Amino acid sequence: MAESGHSLVVRGLNVSYGESKVLFDVDFTVAPNQVVACVGRNGAGKSTLLRSIAGFLKPLSGTISSDGVDLVGRRSYDIARLGIKYVPQDKKVFSDLTVRENLELGSYATKDYNWDRVHDFFPKLKELMDRKAGFLSGGERQMLMIGRALLGSPKVLLIDEPTEGLAPSIVAQLKEVFGALSRNTALVIVEQNLPLVCAIANKVYALKEGRIVAELAGESIRPAACEPYL
Amino acid sequence: MLNALRWWSGILLAFSLLALSRVFLPLPFVIEVVIFSIYTMGCSFLLGRVGFISFGQPAYLAAGAYGTAFYLFYFGANPYVGILLGVLSGLVVSLIVGPLFVRLRSDYFALVNLALAVIVYYLMQKVLADITKGDNGLWFLTNIASTPVLDLTRPNQFFVFALLVAFAVWAFYKYLDDSVFGACCLATKINEDKLEFIGYSNYRVRLLAFVIANTTTALAGALYAIYLGFVSPEITSPSRAADPVVVTILGGVGTLYGPIVGAFAYTGMKDVISKLIGNWELFIGFLLVFIMLAGEKGIWGTLQPRLEKLFLRGKAATTPADDGETRR
Repeated sequence: MAESGHSLVVRGLNVSYGESKVLFDVDFTVAPNQVVACVGRNGAGKSTLLRSIAGFLKPLSGTISSDGVDLVGRRSYDIARLGIKYVPQDKKVFSDLTVRENLELGSYATKDYNWDRVHDFFPKLKELMDRKAGFLSGGERQMLMIGRALLGSPKVLLIDEPTEGLAPSIVAQLKEVFGALSRNTALVIVEQNLPLVCAIANKVYALKEGRIVAELAGESIRPAACEPYL
Repeated sequence: MLNALRWWSGILLAFSLLALSRVFLPLPFVIEVVIFSIYTMGCSFLLGRVGFISFGQPAYLAAGAYGTAFYLFYFGANPYVGILLGVLSGLVVSLIVGPLFVRLRSDYFALVNLALAVIVYYLMQKVLADITKGDNGLWFLTNIASTPVLDLTRPNQFFVFALLVAFAVWAFYKYLDDSVFGACCLATKINEDKLEFIGYSNYRVRLLAFVIANTTTALAGALYAIYLGFVSPEITSPSRAADPVVVTILGGVGTLYGPIVGAFAYTGMKDVISKLIGNWELFIGFLLVFIMLAGEKGIWGTLQPRLEKLFLRGKAATTPADDGETRR
């Protein structure tokens, strides 16, 4: 049953890859402007959860809704147009396109041509507009992917392992950006970096073998409390 | 602004050279180059931009040629109306098969298009022989009426018309290349999932690209029909299915000048070498192997950076977009 008032509601979600079941009865809610983190070991089903919400995997059963709109069965581009944007883990950009062209793609789809917000969050992108995305560093690619996802002012940003393999200075910058972003957008972040999670998250879901085994909120979000689930 | 001028001066120079070649080269040869370059433009767009290799281009060429031929043989005499109907035929065929074909993976896409070319060949040769006159073909050269301004029954004026059409087609593809749609096509080639989560339907992007490319091919078919005044099933012969792909690779995949350069080289080699060697296709085969081994860039893809270096005195090397990759 759809629940209004939430940016994202997942109820009883079951997902499999062929015969292999990956998610079991996952319940999950995200309030507007909330930062929700998903932690867990490799293979726990965190990325699968995000890919299912983004429409890349069809659930076996369960519901996914946003502001009362059912997302199950919708195509991924349709879900993106509803304001639920997915930033995947692999940091692969459209390498043959320039930074400008990558942003233009985002702008044309959302009809949002105001890049000031993107440049405010990531000033470095302004200097790289004519560089082909294939020639960007890992951090710059992450900035581009998040910047492009910001166009159209999404309701929910689903970000998979944003700091994986990035330099500490870039991680610190992303931390600031996520803090600022959450004023207007709900964030769902899959992340293994516990200091970052504890600094920005309002709620943490711990996943183990495809099931949500713990839900932490407020003061209980501490590295020591999250550690056992990694 | 300077970039735009550079682009337009480049293509104006290319088409001026093509027009000038009429003075030194036989008219049939130059006309064949011009039409072949239009034929290849669609294939080059599909392969270079969308990542689809198609061995079925003769089917769309035939759609255009027979669309024009049916009109001029059975119904009317105006060549411009014939061309328009040829283009519409290609558009209709693309819209019928496109929704099915573009869902396929690139390798299956190549084969299903080849199958379509075979189907069209046998349709025109056997099944519809009553109206296509089978292997004898439709002869309508004497049915074509003279037209004011550019009389397409006169080879010289037809050449001017074909050159103008080729220029318009080139400018259209240049516009597409620089548009968001062009970026979408390249994006679907690079990573289709990512294009979807930005908010684009891969299917729609591919379908539109498919329809545009094959309608261009049908336009070339319509021009062939008018120029030859004759159409037979040979135009969609499966043995010629690889021709546009060969010319695309020869010229340089995904480059705007590639189809012109490739058509010139291919037609030239065919004409020159076939006079010296019986099996000229063997030479083309060896040349293609050499091009692949030398870096897959084709003639224009290899020449372009050298020409830029020569004419722009090294400026191109410092522009951020120039990273040595082939760019339309």
